[in-house]
Amino acid sequence: MARRANVITRRDFVRAGGGLAAAGLLTGVGRPGAWAEGEPARSRVVLIRRQDALGEDGSPDGRVLHEMLNDAVSALLEVAEPAAGWRKLIRTGDVVGIKTNAWRNLPTPAVLEEAIRAEVIGAGVAPGDVAVDDRGVRDNLVFKRATAFINVRPMRTHHWSGLGTCLKNMIMFVPRPADYHGDACATLGAIWRLPEIEGKVRLNVLVMLTPQFHGVGPHSFSPAFVWPYKGLVVGTDPVAVDATGARIIEARRREHFGEERPISPPAHHIQLADTRYGLGVSDPQRIDLVRLGWSEGALI
Amino acid sequence: MELPQAPGWVGLVALALLAAECGGRSGEPGVARLRAQLPEEALGWRAVDRGELYDQESIFSYIDGHAEVYLAYGMTGCLARRYAGPQGEADVTLDVFEMASPADAYGVFTYDRDGERVDVGREGLFRYGWLSFWKGTFFVSVTAEADTEAARAAVLELGRSVAALIDRDGVPPPLVGELPAGGLDASSVRYLRSQQILDTHLWLGEGEVLGLASDTPVALARYLRDGRSAHLLLVDYPDQRRAERAAEALAGRLLAGSPGGGPAVAQDGRWHAVRQRGARLVAVIGAANEELAAALLADAGFPQGGG
Repeated sequence: MARRANVITRRDFVRAGGGLAAAGLLTGVGRPGAWAEGEPARSRVVLIRRQDALGEDGSPDGRVLHEMLNDAVSALLEVAEPAAGWRKLIRTGDVVGIKTNAWRNLPTPAVLEEAIRAEVIGAGVAPGDVAVDDRGVRDNLVFKRATAFINVRPMRTHHWSGLGTCLKNMIMFVPRPADYHGDACATLGAIWRLPEIEGKVRLNVLVMLTPQFHGVGPHSFSPAFVWPYKGLVVGTDPVAVDATGARIIEARRREHFGEERPISPPAHHIQLADTRYGLGVSDPQRIDLVRLGWSEGALI
Repeated sequence: MELPQAPGWVGLVALALLAAECGGRSGEPGVARLRAQLPEEALGWRAVDRGELYDQESIFSYIDGHAEVYLAYGMTGCLARRYAGPQGEADVTLDVFEMASPADAYGVFTYDRDGERVDVGREGLFRYGWLSFWKGTFFVSVTAEADTEAARAAVLELGRSVAALIDRDGVPPPLVGELPAGGLDASSVRYLRSQQILDTHLWLGEGEVLGLASDTPVALARYLRDGRSAHLLLVDYPDQRRAERAAEALAGRLLAGSPGGGPAVAQDGRWHAVRQRGARLVAVIGAANEELAAALLADAGFPQGGG
């Protein structure tokens, strides 16, 4: 009679769990949404898309992006005016680091960085107390004394982590990022527990204007593997934001390749950020997805 | 002037042969020698610089987030050069990576094997504007930023020019030759030495389990027999003890027991088997049925009941 082996499937690594998140260990507005005692945590995420987010030449429209950002913040925090939402996220006297992503093939759009910066200043932060940075965060004087971070980056496939996510975007805060590349970046969540970061990330914006769903070549990029999704995924819970973005990428890969082509290596750092590090909610069943704007081709 | 004594002289000859094998000439790295010989033009695409050289440190400034792939295969140098296209055409980027050995050049080539075969270098592949091939100790990549017909022709022309500059062909590592031929999906063959690289091709679960390092060559391939698939993994360790430890660890993860027995079925219906003899570990992973798992084990030299 055949022996029974242990179950080892990719699905094992996308199991959701309450973990530490259910214990409410996150602080400030970064924690998953309120829940009744004994009930698993839930998180709220906004997916906003607009057909006019990109110009005819494919470049992002700054005005439209700013409106998308503000609409997303209003819906996320359930306020009528975006300014009220930003004031929930950022307090007067905060020192704010906007952690962007400068990857040359698919950087965070400068117009989006500028929109966030304008809103942060509008919420009462002195212009000298807000900075935008990526690779220089460890030496940036504003980031060094930051009391709050806004985390914004494009979604793309990634050789080590499966996906380049909001969770992964904080890797530049550690002196040796390669130390976190092992085991498909399983320990990325630990970075969010570092004292200089924990509890300070007030908003996560996963840019899905032209997300990358597959990588080829030394530079891991081909225009053949991005598409004009024209969306932003916005939330205070980085795990829920990334889990939502991952579903879109997986759906696009199925659509493009005509078969199951799992993200490789699996982006299990998202689930582990939930189950091991308690940073948020990865189970789509426990993510309240608010959809705004253009719905055609949303994929989820 | 006296000739060096025999042992030293023999050593110098050996070093010279090694340098030649690695592509070096006159003490220069192979990529530096290639830079001096690169064509200035390819079907209307003209070089815009003389080519940048990167080493194991500076490569991170050029390849963001992916340099570790090349370092995992012992990259010693990289040469990068851009070619500007004619009016209305996008640029083409040439990247030449010099690796520690022909086996490593072959290995890094196998990292991404999608594409159609083209007659450029060894085992040239083309897809989405990207040409890749290996030859000697070099892995060569030529990428068009836009995949037009003219750009494709230029990419192939540039690739052929670079391939012609590399004297030695190199041979694939012997371990790859030990993969059984029956049902082998040639486009799935990978050669590697690192767990991180393995993770991108075959996920064995959380954490490192095989104890892979620079001294543990791995051959991995997918098989398709009678419409049924499986992966076969061969690992050579430097000693039996490490192979035993790895086999125990892998069997503990995949099977409900120790290595050495017959294939076992997982709850998802796939079959796994782990065997070890001497310094060699063999694993069949995710076979569609027991017969396929047993057949692959036997073809890899580990028949049922064997050692």
